[in-house]
Amino acid sequence: MELYSTKKLKDEGFEQILNFFRKKSLWMLHYCTGCGAVELPPTMTSRWDMERFGMGPMATPRQADLLLITGYLSLKSLKRVIYTYEQMQNPKWVIALGSCPINGGIYYDSYSVINRLALYIPVDLSIEGCMPRPEAIIEGFIKLMKQIENGEAVGYKKYQENYKWYKQNQDSVLKREFPVLSGEEK
Amino acid sequence: MNQKELIEYIKNNFKGIENIKSIDEKQFSITVQKERIINILSFLKLSNFKELALITAVDWIKEEKIEVVYILFSYEYEQQLIVKTYIDRQEPSIESIKNLWEIATMYERDVHEFFGIDFIGNDDKRPLILHNWKDIPPLRKDFDSLKYSNTIFGKFKKDKE
Amino acid sequence: MMNNYIVRFLIGSLTSIILGLLYMGIGRKFIARIRRCYAGPFYQSFIDVIKLFSKHSISHHWIMDFGIMMGFSGIIATVIFLPIGNFYVFPDMKGNLIIIMYFMTIGYLGMAMGVSASGNPNSPIGIGRALALMIGYEIPFALAVILLIFANGSSLLYNIIQTQQGSIYNWNLLKYPFAFIGTIIALQGMLGEQPFDAMIAPAEIASGPMVELSGKFLGFGFLQHASQIFLETGIITAMFLGGGTIIGFFTKQLFLYLLTLSIASVFPRFRFEDGVKFFWTIPTSFVLFQLILFLIKR
Repeated sequence: MELYSTKKLKDEGFEQILNFFRKKSLWMLHYCTGCGAVELPPTMTSRWDMERFGMGPMATPRQADLLLITGYLSLKSLKRVIYTYEQMQNPKWVIALGSCPINGGIYYDSYSVINRLALYIPVDLSIEGCMPRPEAIIEGFIKLMKQIENGEAVGYKKYQENYKWYKQNQDSVLKREFPVLSGEEK
Repeated sequence: MNQKELIEYIKNNFKGIENIKSIDEKQFSITVQKERIINILSFLKLSNFKELALITAVDWIKEEKIEVVYILFSYEYEQQLIVKTYIDRQEPSIESIKNLWEIATMYERDVHEFFGIDFIGNDDKRPLILHNWKDIPPLRKDFDSLKYSNTIFGKFKKDKE
Repeated sequence: MMNNYIVRFLIGSLTSIILGLLYMGIGRKFIARIRRCYAGPFYQSFIDVIKLFSKHSISHHWIMDFGIMMGFSGIIATVIFLPIGNFYVFPDMKGNLIIIMYFMTIGYLGMAMGVSASGNPNSPIGIGRALALMIGYEIPFALAVILLIFANGSSLLYNIIQTQQGSIYNWNLLKYPFAFIGTIIALQGMLGEQPFDAMIAPAEIASGPMVELSGKFLGFGFLQHASQIFLETGIITAMFLGGGTIIGFFTKQLFLYLLTLSIASVFPRFRFEDGVKFFWTIPTSFVLFQLILFLIKR
């Protein structure tokens, strides 16, 4: 199966002008399953003051542009994250905090925590650390803003174009019908 | 009653206790036969251990046994009491205590999900926490968590892009 | 003649939207300074609106599109009766208070219709709270309006402004201070600021009426709120602060809005039934006291 890459899907033309407004007003929905939820209140309130960049927390996925995954995801919460992501309206972006969504982190051998989030939904930016400090989070946001301005943050387009691949990955963990351990390692 | 008096009281009034010992000031444990578990729990409930705090289990793979643990608490004596019993590992089953404590239904569902223990009399075996589980129960000692994780979620590989 | 009206209508409605958004941006900065942080630039609200209109949006029913439009146009229809300084969209109407009060509810009703069609259970809860609160703050506000109509012998805002001209001592703020206090508290409820923000309560009912609104629908909601800020502060400016020239009028409006925000930023939230109870007791008795005082004096 051919996977569309970032270069092919880059925003051009009129979108470039709108991208200026999009990067200046990122409204985020934070999915607080993991320990990263603790780092967000200081980032939002007066100490680090995220509102300087026009960012703010939103209550529902319909209103939000940015989905923050703050830490590890178990299988059950992965299902909810996919629902939430699909409810958000285009253009939308995903930031994964901490090392757990990258390679499993300290939960690398857990039977219920997923190892790599980017297999199931497109992640535009991962911020490493266990957990990243508010400074690192803000630096990540600024990096995402630059990507949006250059038209490179096109995770939502990737999801549309490569939907079959993502759906196959999602089903392989969420809808399996046979015991896992009889099979081979990936 | 303090702990010593309590231990004496239980020893004198209940026959068939295999082992009873103090763990610390506020805790002591009783080991009984599998068949007498309902008797001892109803006796303890009548003697003021009114709260069932937890039901859990421990898998002793070398001894081929599973240990079922009931943790009781008494507000009157301020004592925590751990009641243990050993059951067979191959066909683990034990009487349900849902008629003594209503909440036991949930704990037994949980233990059934994670250890595969069959509670006779408790028909509610719906999974509580795990999502679409098909393998052997995950907290058994012969379950290889790392291999499972690598098989289903994949080992970490670097992106080509 | 017709063209003249259309131009005036456009000026009136656009002024209300643009200034409303500007007040919102300044208000956000103001609140941020109270909390000792900085917030975005003062034109942040304009960026937000443009972004919202550039997003994809999802509609669940044609009633939803219709209701949101009705809510927005309801507020715009009210704004054109408001005297903006000495500018009147319809010079013959001269801002009839009774028409304004009647039209103000249309915005909420349209919003109620639109968001109920969205099918999310949180939105009818939110809009139910908003309408219940409206019953609360309409009582002191209507009493204040009745008082001013009595005092001036006219329900036109034009006449009410005329009697306040000349000196600051002629302002209704100083003539009827208790009515002003009651109306300010009612304004807090009209704008949905704390302590009367039970209808949007993000943590309980996920921002209430706006829960299913995405992209352009939320954009229209934003514009409606901006217009509403302009309208409601404008009415109270005309009623109590003596209207004034264009610049004076805008300054007074901004002052009223910032006053509302500074009250809002130090208060937690009333449960909505407690809010209604509060409106029916304290602000209502303030205004009633002023009304009785006025009747005795006469």
